Amino acid sequence: MRLHVLLKFAKILMISRMRSTRRSFVTNSLTNRPILIALIGVVLFVGGLVAGEATVSFFASAGASSSSISQIVLTIYGGLPIFVIGFFFTMGLLWELNASSESESTDAINWLPISPSEYVFASTLSTSYTYSPLVAAAIGYALPIGVLTGNGLAFLLLVAISLVATFIGSVGVEILRSLLARASSAFSKVGGRVMVVSRVLGVVLILLFTQLLFSGFLIVRVISTLVGDIAATIAVPIFWPTLSITSLLASNLLASAIFSLLSLGFFLVLAYVALSLRARFWVTTPPSLHFSGSSSVSGVSRLRKLGLSTTSIALVRREIRSATRRKEVVRLMAIPIILPVMITFPVIFSPAPSSGSSPPSQISPILLVGPLLFGVGLGALFLGMTSIGQEGKRLWNIGSLPIGASTIVKSKIMFTSLIGMIGLILGLALTVAIFHLSILDAFTFTGIGLAVILAESSLGLAVGSRYPDFSDGPRPRFVTITGSILGSVLGIILMILISGPFIVFLIARLLLGIPFSLYLSLLFSGLVGLLFSWIGYKTSIGPVEGILREIPN
Amino acid sequence: MYESSPAVAAEHLTKFYGPVLGLNDLTMNVVPGEIRGLLGQNGSGKSTLLKSLIGLIRPTSGSVKVLGLDVQRAPMEVRRAVGYVPESPRLYEFLTAAEYLDFIADVRGLGYEEKKERIGRLIEALDLEGKQGETISGYSQGMKQKVAIMGAILHRPKVLLLDEPLNGLDPKSARVVKELVHSLAKDGVTTVFSTHILEIAEAICDRLTILQNGRVLAEGSARELRDKAGLPGSGLEDVFLKLTGTKGVEDIVEALMR
Repeated sequence: MRLHVLLKFAKILMISRMRSTRRSFVTNSLTNRPILIALIGVVLFVGGLVAGEATVSFFASAGASSSSISQIVLTIYGGLPIFVIGFFFTMGLLWELNASSESESTDAINWLPISPSEYVFASTLSTSYTYSPLVAAAIGYALPIGVLTGNGLAFLLLVAISLVATFIGSVGVEILRSLLARASSAFSKVGGRVMVVSRVLGVVLILLFTQLLFSGFLIVRVISTLVGDIAATIAVPIFWPTLSITSLLASNLLASAIFSLLSLGFFLVLAYVALSLRARFWVTTPPSLHFSGSSSVSGVSRLRKLGLSTTSIALVRREIRSATRRKEVVRLMAIPIILPVMITFPVIFSPAPSSGSSPPSQISPILLVGPLLFGVGLGALFLGMTSIGQEGKRLWNIGSLPIGASTIVKSKIMFTSLIGMIGLILGLALTVAIFHLSILDAFTFTGIGLAVILAESSLGLAVGSRYPDFSDGPRPRFVTITGSILGSVLGIILMILISGPFIVFLIARLLLGIPFSLYLSLLFSGLVGLLFSWIGYKTSIGPVEGILREIPN
Repeated sequence: MYESSPAVAAEHLTKFYGPVLGLNDLTMNVVPGEIRGLLGQNGSGKSTLLKSLIGLIRPTSGSVKVLGLDVQRAPMEVRRAVGYVPESPRLYEFLTAAEYLDFIADVRGLGYEEKKERIGRLIEALDLEGKQGETISGYSQGMKQKVAIMGAILHRPKVLLLDEPLNGLDPKSARVVKELVHSLAKDGVTTVFSTHILEIAEAICDRLTILQNGRVLAEGSARELRDKAGLPGSGLEDVFLKLTGTKGVEDIVEALMR
């Protein structure tokens, strides 16, 4: 293993990450300096210090008992290592999911003389350093808590264990990367629609899992379990860093030392596994998929009976194939399905579920539908925002064909809405099944949901067509940072406007005692949604027309 | 209807890319059924001109008419009548060749029987049989080029705009494309064809336009260009180098060999 190659390659990987995530607002010369990350780390460390001091002051001024403070220190200190592992693993995972297959198959790593060990350690180092500011913030936060509560030794251990946790998370991604490469290769050989569906489901499940992991709820549950019943969890290596801290806080020095050594050992084992997998299983993902029976041309679509033109149907069919076959687009399609889960999850489980005294069925289904619609709407918004940019350098295809801007806009809205509706129907079906939402209410909310989806898709397209990012980088984003921020703000404002009539209903019914009809308010909400759908549609046509007349280089 | 007027007419075209001048007051007329070759060094404006002709870029000034239709005012009508292959075409790599052509056919409004017959025949002619079920991402550069050419001629266009169409093609396919362009010209199809391969330009094209710095440097048949350069009987390469004022090729080679 050549150390200079390892460090040079780690720097290249880190710059690649920085440029493809901050490209549009940070100059290349700035992103060329790894010191930038250290500076961000210092700033966040100071921010963490202030927040940590504020936390201690708050509990002191609130007159918290020493046992309560101990419990808080235990939760924070015990939670940090597991959070760090999850964070680094997730960031690496998302990085992998964002990669375009096209750029992966032409990645320099496939033909440069870099050994598996150089690659694995350089990539681990790069992941660890790139996201290290988060660890700096966490350590900064923990420092005053440790010092002011008399847990200085635990703090020192936390620093060391956080570093180990960082490397555990980062090297875990390397294992996953090799396995994914192997799986992709095997799947591509099988080919066909089964592979496509499996990959979509896999991505959705992976993203769902990682989002649940970061809901905070799961971490708190894990810590409670660890504190409550150590015997049941010591066999799980991922908990060893946390157990080393919690043991020390419980003044069990021997157990702490053992778990610390075990954590280090766990990292070394993972590194060995990552090296072995890289050396044995790494194969370049085949760039193509095979579809049997796809050599025949498509017949007349039944959708024509709905009044859709052949061009619109062809465009929607192309969108579906793009969304299910392009790895970097699959994750976008998952958004309208994942966001509702992310948003409803805390509603269902907050406060943390008790051992059976409050069954889920006691939660009002109506309370769940709001967050569900919010999540589906935001999902449709993000999908809409990225739909123009994902055309990338292939824009000339539609630019040179006789397709009007309005047809393109309609087909994009139609596709986005279709995916949004899948998320909505799945969410509502679950709400009906688990929380006993009435069928009539489910139909009503489907109608409102459709209006929300149409409005947010149209708004997303209106923003995405004004701020598209056509650069086909290794990790394409499809919409500029400005567009993302503007779109998100407008999307939330739009959601509030659509909710307006329902809010009026609540005020009238609950505060003023006026018998205002729920269904009437929902009807008005739907109409507001449709009005904004039309506005979004109309305001998207001009920019799309402009793009078609001046295809970006 | 179009016989009396040029099939492609660019009048005083100027295109700025920010401060960079892509086309500089360029005027060019191509008569129906003609095969026009565009020659020029890298960055001379060939691709910019072709993009202007299909309406993929908006000229800063000047106008383009294709089949008598203003490209900026009637882009849809122009695109219906034109087939276009860009330089290094980026296709929809996630589609198979058959799906890609099926998409083009649907947008172009071909009926089921017609598209089935046309796609089948093109795939056979350009040796893509057995590969049409694979996504384009796995194709070689030459195969992608073939698919792009198929997409451009699928609807029997009246005007073909080809930007370096023979890039990456194997000799057989290159020959097929050359013969195809000739046959289409006999049927009245007008072709504007950019290339760096001067032998091909001379063999295929009725007339040649040499571009330099976004302007027309010289125009005419290969023989007219030779006369203009004062090099009768010379190869087109010498003519091209003389007209474009390229000097010191030997010096450059010597520097490269050092």
